[in-house]
Amino acid sequence: MHKTFRLIILGLFVAQSLVLYIIEGMIPVPFIAPGAKLGLANLITVIALYSLPRKRDVCLILFLRIMISTAFAGGINAFLYSAAGASFSLGCMVLLKKTGKFSLIGVSAAGGIFHNLGQVIIASLIVENIKIMLYLPILSIAGVGTGILIGITALFTLQHLTNLPLYQRLRKI
Amino acid sequence: MIKKWDITLIIIFLCLSLLPEAIFILSGATNAAKTIAVIQVDGKEYKTIPLSEHTGTDKFTIYTNHGYNTVTVRDQSIAITDADCPDQICVNEGFISKPGATTVCLPHKVMIEIRAFDSSEPDIIPAR
Repeated sequence: MHKTFRLIILGLFVAQSLVLYIIEGMIPVPFIAPGAKLGLANLITVIALYSLPRKRDVCLILFLRIMISTAFAGGINAFLYSAAGASFSLGCMVLLKKTGKFSLIGVSAAGGIFHNLGQVIIASLIVENIKIMLYLPILSIAGVGTGILIGITALFTLQHLTNLPLYQRLRKI
Repeated sequence: MIKKWDITLIIIFLCLSLLPEAIFILSGATNAAKTIAVIQVDGKEYKTIPLSEHTGTDKFTIYTNHGYNTVTVRDQSIAITDADCPDQICVNEGFISKPGATTVCLPHKVMIEIRAFDSSEPDIIPAR
């Protein structure tokens, strides 16, 4: 029973982040710098990070989301960028959450910065030009902006989520 | 909601993101962006102008068998500002300064090309 419950919850999280990913693709965003975007799908990662007890499940959700979104849109390059950004940002968020000193918004903003850091590193490896690193300040500011917005949204969502009876079961999977 | 630690953390990360910029400036990697303007007439090299060190405004005229082209070098950019060619495409091109940019006057067979001095530098592809 627990196994099925976990399967359904993880499936829901993946489906939600995929839907957000697709919706994000439809929203026109002002061009700030190459690679800067809203990162709506990250919202689900943050919520999962704060509601699921096991980090392994969060990693699984993120990995599945990237795999399927690559199948929907983009090729191997998009996959590399997403994977690098996602692993950097998740790693940073997990570590910061562990310290317990930072609120959800701070953790999410740092995740936004590290997502862009990962992408910039992968980009400079792919084009073999370290100068792409010079984009980092602009991308970091963009990452902080979107990270804070995602953090606020996740905070409000979690407030309502904790009122659900389902949430108590969620904590146990 | 937002804690003091969060703001500290964000500021630290933003400062750290300036690190590559600082390293590039300190290591003098900006010197790699030296540019030269190569002027070719009828396929032969006519004149080479070091652009990145250039300041002020210089004007000179190239006379070819087909007509004349007046070239203006203004700071780090170069343009053909006057010509008696029929189409005036070279004049309309305006000032160019980036490596790889060209101004061509086809009727007079005059071509100005900006080259990076350090030719090993590849073009930057916008990352998505």
